[in-house]
Amino acid sequence: MLLFRSEETLDGWCRARNLPRRPIINLDQLWHLAVTWYGNRLTVESRRPAPDEMVAIFAAIGLEGPFWDPKSDQWKGKLQD
Amino acid sequence: MGQVIPMDFDTTVKLNLYESLARSGEAPTAMEVAAALSAPLGDVLAAFERLGQKRLLVLEPGDPARIRMAPPFSGVETPHRVFVKDKSYYANCIWDAFGIPAALHADALIETSDGHTGEAIRLRVEGGTPLPEPCVVHFAVPAAHWWQDIVYT
Repeated sequence: MLLFRSEETLDGWCRARNLPRRPIINLDQLWHLAVTWYGNRLTVESRRPAPDEMVAIFAAIGLEGPFWDPKSDQWKGKLQD
Repeated sequence: MGQVIPMDFDTTVKLNLYESLARSGEAPTAMEVAAALSAPLGDVLAAFERLGQKRLLVLEPGDPARIRMAPPFSGVETPHRVFVKDKSYYANCIWDAFGIPAALHADALIETSDGHTGEAIRLRVEGGTPLPEPCVVHFAVPAAHWWQDIVYT
């Protein structure tokens, strides 16, 4: 994932690479993901979220659908679409 | 007195390398972890490999003794630099740039840039929240494919 100053510079990035625009999130959503993923990374209890947990974590900040499902096969062979 | 949680060797290795990263900003080699733990190098290399299989580490291609990524930390220089107190770190991506203050439970200044124009962007995390800054984060790769090429993702 990449950071952009604005949606205009993001669109410029997509055009320059002939890539479709995909989901964007804001800094508050990104911080939520960072805390959820890494908040206990330096502790004994830390581990990567399981796929079903990932789906719930994304849904909690409004990110739903197959794009955010690590078990989805919808994108197989379609990453340039 | 808190509960004492018994640790397996992989967890011991993982905690040691993360503590080293947090302290120095640099990823330790397997040799350095082995020396710190007074453990055989072969055991540490095997632990590195298992942690990689669990996607908790990414090892340097062709050199299983070196760490490319111990998310959120990067073992190599990247365009995402994170300053916490008197230390600096490199993050693997913008998510991980926020992940470093999240892992260290500390305020941070993040120096990064616009993915298209290269314009320098500074982000701050203070008091457990990011300060407002006009920008967006774009996910080009769906979650199911993030680990097909984690360096690109």
